[in-house]
Amino acid sequence: MIKQLFALDGVIAVCQFRDDGMLVEGYGAGGDDMLQRLAKFAHDYKRMVQGNADQLSMFTQMNGWTPPGGWLVRGPAVTVCSIANLVCVVDLREISLSTIMAQLKEAASW
Amino acid sequence: MADLNTLMKLDAVEGAFRFTPSGELREHQIAGGSKLDATVLDLLCHVCVANMAIATMQARGWEKVTGMQGFYPINGFSLIGFEWTAVVNQEYGVVVPNAKVDYDRIYAALNG
Amino acid sequence: MSLILNLSKLPGVIAAGEYSYRGDRFSFEGKLTDELARMASIMCRATTMATHMQVDMMKSLGSDCGCAPARGWMVHGEKFSVCVVGNIFCFVDSTTVKLNDLMAQLVAQVPQQEGQLV
Repeated sequence: MIKQLFALDGVIAVCQFRDDGMLVEGYGAGGDDMLQRLAKFAHDYKRMVQGNADQLSMFTQMNGWTPPGGWLVRGPAVTVCSIANLVCVVDLREISLSTIMAQLKEAASW
Repeated sequence: MADLNTLMKLDAVEGAFRFTPSGELREHQIAGGSKLDATVLDLLCHVCVANMAIATMQARGWEKVTGMQGFYPINGFSLIGFEWTAVVNQEYGVVVPNAKVDYDRIYAALNG
Repeated sequence: MSLILNLSKLPGVIAAGEYSYRGDRFSFEGKLTDELARMASIMCRATTMATHMQVDMMKSLGSDCGCAPARGWMVHGEKFSVCVVGNIFCFVDSTTVKLNDLMAQLVAQVPQQEGQLV
């Protein structure tokens, strides 16, 4: 299913990962080793964001932060975005953030 | 005020370093024979700055919610690794083997 | 005597506790309320997860010189500090605690965690 995401212009790599960080399915540059690393990174980063969001909720007593839906790290040349257990690396010169985030959200519900 | 020469004279210090508020390695010294290098220290600085930032968020939140003052401002963060320990304040840090780390003396030197 | 109880009786230790890596339970001894200990365990767990990820990443980026797996961390505040090894945390008075003694006990008595943190 996530192969459709990889077909979008600007998507460099896309992975689906399990709750233990193992790669379920992935496509993109760098081969299996790189995709496994991306899956592990996205899994770990998701847990870290979850932990920080939990604390933000705890300290602010404000609902609506947890559970986090996803995260996004924007670099000068590439950007990494994740929703649920999907992560993708994109080049924003070829795809807009709104488009990729909407596509990820839809794919996460498949 | 800490400086690299003073920090390197502490017992068993393998490396001493100074970093920018965003975590880039600014200057460093490494003891002879150490496996450390500038690349490792640069990554380590970023890890430490990230954790100082999170610890500061936690200190602010904790003090606000509990009224228990005394965590903020964060004076230092330590990462106890498998073999070595890194101890940093807002600007300087050292790396010491786990077996020889003297936290009290290092924090005193960093914050002195 | 349990490790937590032992730690809580050390000079300068305000409270000592244990949290599950899954985040579903905690226990503690010392001068914290249940609610503060719950908050403390949430904070400590979050930082532990982050440090594990960070050193694993350093290792995977080829910068391994004994950093991974992470054993613990410490935050040093003006009056209070937090010391954590594995899933054991200690809230301490920075002015009276003997950090070296406390950390030596923690490192010696808390087993090294391998693999998934569950």
